[in-house]
Amino acid sequence: MVSVENTDFRTSTKWIYVVAALLALVGLTDALYLTVQHLSGRSVPCSVTGGCEEVLTSAYAVVAGIPLAALGAAAYFSAFSLSILAAFGYRSAARLLLPLVATMVLVSVWLFYLQAFVIRAFCQFCLLSAAITIALAIVVFFGWKKGS
Amino acid sequence: MKRLLPFIIILGVLGVAVGGVLYMTRSNSGGGSSASGGNTSPQAKASPAPTLGPVKAGVPGADPPHTTGVANAPVRIEEFGDFECPPCGAFHPILKKMREEYGDKLFITFREYPLPIHDHAVPAASAAEAAGLQGKFWEMHALIFEHQNEWKLAFDVRPIFEGYAKQIGLDVERFKRDVNSDRVEQRIFLDGKRARAMGVNSTPTVFLNDREIPFTLLPENSLRVLIDNELRAASQK
Repeated sequence: MVSVENTDFRTSTKWIYVVAALLALVGLTDALYLTVQHLSGRSVPCSVTGGCEEVLTSAYAVVAGIPLAALGAAAYFSAFSLSILAAFGYRSAARLLLPLVATMVLVSVWLFYLQAFVIRAFCQFCLLSAAITIALAIVVFFGWKKGS
Repeated sequence: MKRLLPFIIILGVLGVAVGGVLYMTRSNSGGGSSASGGNTSPQAKASPAPTLGPVKAGVPGADPPHTTGVANAPVRIEEFGDFECPPCGAFHPILKKMREEYGDKLFITFREYPLPIHDHAVPAASAAEAAGLQGKFWEMHALIFEHQNEWKLAFDVRPIFEGYAKQIGLDVERFKRDVNSDRVEQRIFLDGKRARAMGVNSTPTVFLNDREIPFTLLPENSLRVLIDNELRAASQK
């Protein structure tokens, strides 16, 4: 899948992907925390903005029987893997990263809309995830521009 | 080696992620092993479940506590609950069913543990306690839980709870006064003190003969297995 290794890959571009990998790692931790919260199902006093529980127990928290947070974790793990490969010079990984992160941004926008206008409750860890995705998209776009 | 390094990093992160989730779900569910269904041997079933937490004594809560059943029953269940928490609402019919099935063998206590994340949890706890002062705690407790979805999104819950008070035949004027009384506040405070002493930090937290039941074992079938284990252990003494 990711086979094109390029030794000319510039050092600065590599570092951009290292930053992307670190951001994806933070996103992965956040999504895993939300997955655990979703699976445990208990009410916990976990609030800064309130609403964690409303969001995590809403009908939108599960897609085809899979907790949305777990799908988010899978997306962040994929983004992390591709960023690491890109940082090691795999250009095809860098190219795959762009559509993945673009999809993640679109999903984040949709989830933000749901929280703001449908569920009418915000969950701070979900907002953190949206912020990380946007930061990730900016870094990846920057890396793609530099690398191309 | 350098060629393998990115794959080693990726696999390392995957391992930590999977391990972390497994560890967290276990510790969140009380640190026990998985629910024992029908596959366990009779001997394993007879032992008082390694799935329960250690015995917790704590400090006394509100006195007298709200209880059903006889005090010397072989199985004592103590729930720390929040009327607005959805899983507590889901646990209510399960416990009700257990009470019907096991009758006098079960001694059930409900303790107030309203969480600060819920806007109406304290008013709901106060309403139940105020009903308790007129001897109708359990009637109010049932109404509040059974209509959780109707009041939890309301702006002002007081008229709703006053309606319940009327429905179960309370002196509504006295109920209105009691809801804001020091006595009710004190009861909720004392239950909270007991909760903290027993290490409760989420709801519902349920103890079976003073040992915490992992959250994952609260569904009807696994709870029944745990109660049967306790009954069997008590009959062997």
